[in-house]
Amino acid sequence: MLLPLAAPALPLDEAGKYVAGAYIVFVVLLVVYVAIMAAKVQRIERELRDVAAIAEEKKDAQAAPGRGSETPLASRGSGGGGTDV
Amino acid sequence: MTQHRVTLSRAAIAAILAKDLRTELRTLQSLPGMALFAVTTFVIFRFGLDRTSLSGSLAAGVLWATLLFAALLGVNRLFVAEREQGGFDAIRLAPIDRSALFVAKAVALLAYLAALELVVVPVFALFFLDSPAALGPLIAVLLLADLGIAATGTLISSMAVHSRARDLLGPLVLLPLVVPLMIAATGASEPLLAVGGPGYHRFGTWLAVLGLYDLVFLLIGYAVFDFLLED
Amino acid sequence: MYSKGLRPLSIATVVALAAGLSLVFFYAPLDADQGFIQKIFYLHVPLAMTALVGFIVGGVFAIAHLRSGDRKWDAYSYVAIHISVIFGVAVLITGAIWAKASWGHWWVWNEPTLVSFLIVFLLYATYYPFRYAIEDRDRQARYASVFAVTAGAFVPLNFLAVRMAQSLVHPRVFATSNGGLPGSMMLTFLCCLAAMALLWLTLVKFELTAKSASGQVKRLRRALDAPVGASSSRIAPEVS
Repeated sequence: MLLPLAAPALPLDEAGKYVAGAYIVFVVLLVVYVAIMAAKVQRIERELRDVAAIAEEKKDAQAAPGRGSETPLASRGSGGGGTDV
Repeated sequence: MTQHRVTLSRAAIAAILAKDLRTELRTLQSLPGMALFAVTTFVIFRFGLDRTSLSGSLAAGVLWATLLFAALLGVNRLFVAEREQGGFDAIRLAPIDRSALFVAKAVALLAYLAALELVVVPVFALFFLDSPAALGPLIAVLLLADLGIAATGTLISSMAVHSRARDLLGPLVLLPLVVPLMIAATGASEPLLAVGGPGYHRFGTWLAVLGLYDLVFLLIGYAVFDFLLED
Repeated sequence: MYSKGLRPLSIATVVALAAGLSLVFFYAPLDADQGFIQKIFYLHVPLAMTALVGFIVGGVFAIAHLRSGDRKWDAYSYVAIHISVIFGVAVLITGAIWAKASWGHWWVWNEPTLVSFLIVFLLYATYYPFRYAIEDRDRQARYASVFAVTAGAFVPLNFLAVRMAQSLVHPRVFATSNGGLPGSMMLTFLCCLAAMALLWLTLVKFELTAKSASGQVKRLRRALDAPVGASSSRIAPEVS
């Protein structure tokens, strides 16, 4: 089955650029997806820290109900910051 | 018991259909608008394309694009009354197969489209065609395409009516969905509207594609409609 | 536990991708007609096939959701469609690059698979505004499943219609000169196809794991009577 083509094949160096471009697009999209997922995971980590702090607070409040909320802020010191890598 | 339900369904379908048609005939809120829209669109095409007569693919394209967009107007309005007046709840409570609503509405939409085309297609022939010879065989294409639009339009409209921006959402989702329908309809119409007189190149194949599309989406609509009406 | 098996899966994906890419550039012969440009085929077509199967899988999950009422199937359906849409973007961009290299235009209408893929993509692109427009979460899930089922049935019909619309005179851009792939190209192609399928599975699992983790955090918050915090997404179904 012979199929006529409108244009002959491009010379190797020009063709190489297009092929590279296509594979680069694929890689870029993949990396962008990973970056977006990284942001999601960061948020989850942050939320987990908050929840852990809340849980600890509750535990302290239960253990010593008379003393009121004496929980020092120290236990939640670096909770919100997180490391931006 | 099942037979009783089926008979009840048929009666239910007829009842809903009759109510819809009666309302439309009395209020005339969709049909005149759709027809007017279509005819004005023809005028726009006349000037946009700078042509006073059309044939072949151009004629098929203008006709089907116009019919499709006019149909969208009707599709949008299809379930509005049910939504506003509690028709959905009524169906849910009634001891009938809920897909009866789907069938009734699809037939109603089919009727609106047929009525629309009864007016609009002759106008199209008047405006743009040299001879009405194509109109006869065109009826088969129109009927099958209408069935497809009725099936998908009813399905999408029943969901879009529950959303915000329903007038946008319906057409937005429906348009890509009917592309195969349009491909087949224009594919069949193009040789019919050719300059030298109607041709039937691949006419049967295109009709088969239309038929397949109709079958698939009528079945799907019928099958899922129960789930649509839950709660 | 959605992350179960995620590590072996991702390792398998990496291996398959590496193997596939190596085959593409070191083993597969140069195409007689299209030359080096043909190498894009090993990227573009597996992506496309995976995306299309992914859409249909999304439809199958949607059927499961409608029949069982279990919301987890809706989450699976959403993620399957979501990842397939992302693959779809890659398909269209690589398809455009391919068209430009072969025909000098960034888009061509006479390649039926590319055109029908565009139509499918346009339909699934409406999945997001569709979900967004329906506010009640329960209803949103149900309607989205109806959409996914309808769209899944649409895929083969659409390909049929577009292929038929092609005039038989037009040369097909993707077919090779002898109408079929020689053995070495077929092997390379299959390897790349497997790699893309594995990649799809990995990303779906990954996405579900992240959603699940998010869901567990919410669950913890609720258990501690803590404020649940701003609801994240209006459309992405929650997994717990």
